[in-house]
This record gives sequence, structure tokens and C-alpha cells, in this order.
Amino acid sequence: MKSEKILEVKDLVVEFQTDRGTVKAVNGVNFDVYKGKTIGIVGESGSGKSVTALAIMGLIPNPPGRVAGGDIRFNGKSLVNIDPSEMRKIRGNKIAMIFQEPMTSLNPVFTIGNQIEEVIELHQPHLDATQRKEKAINMLRLVGIPSPEKRVEEYPHQLSGGMRQRVMIAIALSCEPDILIADEPTTALDVTIQAQILELMKKLQKELGMGIILITHDLGVVAETCDDVAVMYCGQIVESADVKTLFNHPSHPYTRGLMDSIPSFDSTSGHKKERLQTIEGMVPSLFNLPSGCNFQERCSKVTDACRGVNGDPVLKPATDESHLVACFNPLK
Amino acid sequence: MSEYLIEVKDLCKKFPIKGGLFGREIGAVNAVNNVSFKIKKGETLGLVGESGCGKTTLGRSILRLIEPTSGEIIFNGQNIINYSAAEMRAVRRKMQIIFQDPYASLNPRMTVGDILAEPMEIHGLHTDKNARRKRLLELLNQVQLPSDALNKYPHEFSGGQRQRICIARALAVEPEFIVCDEPVSALDVSVQAQVVNLLMDLQRDLGLTFLFIAHDLKVVEYISNRVAVMYLGNMIEVAESSELYGHARHPYTKALFSAIPHASTAGRAGRIILEGDIPSPMNPPAGCHFNPRCWNATEECRKTFPPITNQSATHQYRCYNPIK
Repeated sequence: MKSEKILEVKDLVVEFQTDRGTVKAVNGVNFDVYKGKTIGIVGESGSGKSVTALAIMGLIPNPPGRVAGGDIRFNGKSLVNIDPSEMRKIRGNKIAMIFQEPMTSLNPVFTIGNQIEEVIELHQPHLDATQRKEKAINMLRLVGIPSPEKRVEEYPHQLSGGMRQRVMIAIALSCEPDILIADEPTTALDVTIQAQILELMKKLQKELGMGIILITHDLGVVAETCDDVAVMYCGQIVESADVKTLFNHPSHPYTRGLMDSIPSFDSTSGHKKERLQTIEGMVPSLFNLPSGCNFQERCSKVTDACRGVNGDPVLKPATDESHLVACFNPLK
Repeated sequence: MSEYLIEVKDLCKKFPIKGGLFGREIGAVNAVNNVSFKIKKGETLGLVGESGCGKTTLGRSILRLIEPTSGEIIFNGQNIINYSAAEMRAVRRKMQIIFQDPYASLNPRMTVGDILAEPMEIHGLHTDKNARRKRLLELLNQVQLPSDALNKYPHEFSGGQRQRICIARALAVEPEFIVCDEPVSALDVSVQAQVVNLLMDLQRDLGLTFLFIAHDLKVVEYISNRVAVMYLGNMIEVAESSELYGHARHPYTKALFSAIPHASTAGRAGRIILEGDIPSPMNPPAGCHFNPRCWNATEECRKTFPPITNQSATHQYRCYNPIK
């Protein structure tokens, strides 16, 4: 049973002009975000996952970048060629984002309270100063910061990394957005703090019913927090499914390779374990993509079809209708 | 000759905190506090802990890249703690380090050939031109890089390849012991697996001994024979890696393992979510440093620092109320 669809990304193409020509950082990406659900976007560096997020926020630096094709629809309304003042009302208010680096995304010369209140002032102008402060304190309490009345007066350098990421979440949630985009929210944090932050995001999602787009390279984080998953490679989604199907029946050799390259704990019996499975080679340059499947040079199942004899692979249903894979020789 | 290549006894590193008008010393951070361990020849000791627990300081103190405050470091039967700079240089030929960030640890203005030749130059190895070239090609071959890499610059390589160059540089002087300080943390998962495999192959072929520092427990558990856990400058538990994962005695170790997200959807019970952050090392809590976050803490834990308990010959921990 799917809940209400709030965001639709259709055939999104994002291009960047560079000295070496035009690159398509995102090339024909489709996915939907539902109310109260979390979609995970997984991929290695340079796969286009962060650019996809920036495109949704309307934050692609232009020039050199631009959304060259496709559509992003928020509650049925296109965000692609929207008036900048319209977008400003949506950004931060309806769609909020938290970034990877809690150390650098807060302004060091303003107090935590100032920075939360600024967002509230911009998006909820009807509140007066006392109400804003009260709301800021409530937000800090919501994200589990102890003694929030004291903390609002503090500066970012007085807080630890985990606490700063909580403040970022508080800022992002202060306008009760419909969608939260979390770009590697826990990558810079230690595992014990990561567990706290992921738990917090799950709890807040339950309370506020927002849709979350979680961008990460960590399949473990995906398995534990997401409902649906899209795996990106070289700017394209190569496989998408609900989280159970993806982990139990990965169909794309790349997805499978990613899973196999993580050491697992279940081999507790004695040493030394077998070698880690690896994906040979490395991600091809976006300037120089092969024709056909982008993964062909690293794939063990490669055939002539993969080299582009009959065009590029497209997403097709694999094990069931909702499990899509772009591969000529998907794994059984 | 003992079976241990390196033995560290009661190693301490204090960083002074300066303050006040004349920069007086107003306190100290005990980054590494009375740490002792031994590593056998050909063995890998993993070292895990959260940021700020002192694992990097410990790794560098062993090579005396950071000067330890007190303690002993016995390498190949020699206590190197009071060695002069010249004596130390000779020892460092046998002990090398690989750093975390392959983007920052290679000089961008030197070719790969020059980078790999520099340590040989310093130690006067393979001085004959042909012999050196042969050795350089052998090194590239060992880390599986093409031979045309010699004339290229670091920016022409990806992160994984740069880490291979760093590994080759460490191998250039034929060391016996390598401190690997988060060597795969900056790499993507698929590349991370390649580098982990490479390190394990090299260890097998060259008989290397590793101290493998990382915060990724999965990688550490995989590559190490034994794993040591640090918390706020103290080594709180050490055991064989499978034993530590299955039968951790210290609550912090247990919590650390349970916090790792697993890449499978098969539900699992018993995640322990720790409250709070690591306390500041400038002002650690009295008694066991873990007591404010520990669910088993008693009066005793708040008073005195727990001594080492020997569970077995290979498993030691510091806790008054260990997990059964």
C-alpha cells in the first residue's frame, strides 16, 4: 500500500559545461517520493546522487550547470522552470536539506538560536521574536539536544559533530517540510553517533510524516532506514526496488558487487577468511563513457549486447513490476 | 629473538594545554594513557575507536613521529624510545606508515617515480640507476599499477590508485612493520575492497606486520588477527577479532559493534544506542571514562579506573561489570 506521492522526478538530465566539453552528471533519472516513506539513493562518488538532490532544491549552480531535460514535480507543480521567488518559498519551507558536513554548514559567528530563528523568520513571518525563540528551543528539544534553553545561546564551535548535525536537522525541520533531503547525513560521524542520528530521523519521520530522500554510499544505512532504494552509477539509476527485494534479490551485477565488497561479520568461525569480492577497475570518466552499458568494463557477465549493439540498457521489470533493473544479463 | 616484533609498554602521550597571559601550561590532554600491547611477526593488530580516542596519536607515537611522553617501545628487541634522530632514521627503514588521505599525502609536484625513489635515496638503497629502476617497476607491480605510472603525477590517479602509490612508497624501503592509519576510510566501497585485498596479499607475500587503525569495524575485524578497542586514550579491550565480535566483555565494545548498520534486511535485535557524546579528553570523568554513557555503571565505576582483567591469554579488558 503506497501512501500519497509528493515528489516526482521524471527523466531528469543535469548537464555541466566544462573546459573539456559538456558532461551529463545526471542522465535520465526517475523516482518518486511518498509521504512518510524514505527512498535511499546509493552510489559511489561521482555517480550523480548529490547533483540529483541539488537539482530538486533548485541549487544547481548556473552556469556552469543546468537542468537540461526532464521534470521535477512537487505536489503536481513543476519546479524546473519555476520563478526564483516561487522556488524560495518552497526551498527550506516545503523541501529542506541537510548536508554531509556538520562542521562547515553552520555559520560560526552566529549562535545556534540565531540560525534556527533566521529560517523561521524567513518562512513563517507571522511569528514574533518571542515565539520564534520559543520555537527554536522546541526544535532543539525535538532533536534531543540536552538543556536547549542554554544551547540556543551557544555557538557552533561549542558543540560536537553529532550535536551540530542535530542542529542542522533542527534547522531543516523547523518549517515542518514535506520532504527532507539528507545528503550523507552521517558520513562524517562516528558509528555510535550515526546510530543516534538515524534513530532520530526515523522517529521524527513518524511524528511529522515527511518523505525522506536519503543519499548515501553506505548500504548498511540504506538497509536499516529506507523503504525504497535506487542504485546510481554514472548518472543513471541502474536498479530500483523496495529495500527487501533489493537486498534479497539484487539483479544488477553492480548492486551485487557493491554488496559483496563489504566485509561481513557472519564468518565468525576462525581465520583467515576468503578474499573480499571486488569490482575490478574503476568508475569510467563521465567525459568518456562507453557506448552501451556504462558498467561493461567492470562486469563479469558482459556480452556483445552490453557493448551497445542494440542501444543502451533501459530499466525493465526484473523479479516483479516494482523491481526495475537496467541490464541485459540481470542476475537471477 | 622474541616472537614479538614490536612491544609497547605503558606508552603515554600528554599534550599540554597552554593558556593565560604568558602561555603557561594550564592542563594536559592525555591522548594516550598507559597503553601496552605486543604484535607478533606477520600479525595484524586492529585498532578501533571513535574520533578523538587517541588511535592516530598512538600510531604516530610508535614511530616517534609524535614524541611520546613516557613508556617503552621495543622494536626487534631494541628499546627505541631514547634513540637519537639519526638512529631513529635507521629504524624507520623498518617501520613505515600509510596515511588516511591519499589526496594530501603525495606531493603534487613530484612524479610517482620520484615519490617512490625518495625513500630509497634517503636510506641509500639501490643506488645504481638500473637497479633502482628495476626496483621501482617491481614496486608498481606489487601494488598492481601499470609501469607507465612512473612518469605521471599524483593528480592523474584516482583515490584508490593514489593509495596504492602510498603503499608502494611505504614498501620501497622493505619495512617489516607498517602502521596503516585509516588507509581505506577515504575510498569508495568497491575500491576499499581492492585495497584491503592488496594489503592482505602483501602481508602474506612479504611477511609484513601491521598495526591497522580504522573506525570501520567491519574492515578491521576482517583484516586483523586481534583487535584492540580504545576509548578516551585508554585501551579498554583487546581480543582475537572473532572473539571480540562474538563475546565482547566491555559494554563499550558491545555498543560499538551493535551500532554498525548491517547491509541486510533480516531484522536483528539488541541495538544499543549510546546516550551522549565522548566526553572531552581535557576533562575526563572520574573512574572509568565510559561510566556516564554506560548502562552497567555502579558506584565503583565512578570512583576508580578499572584494572586489566585477563579473560584468557589473548583477551583482556578493563571493566568492573563486564557483559556475561
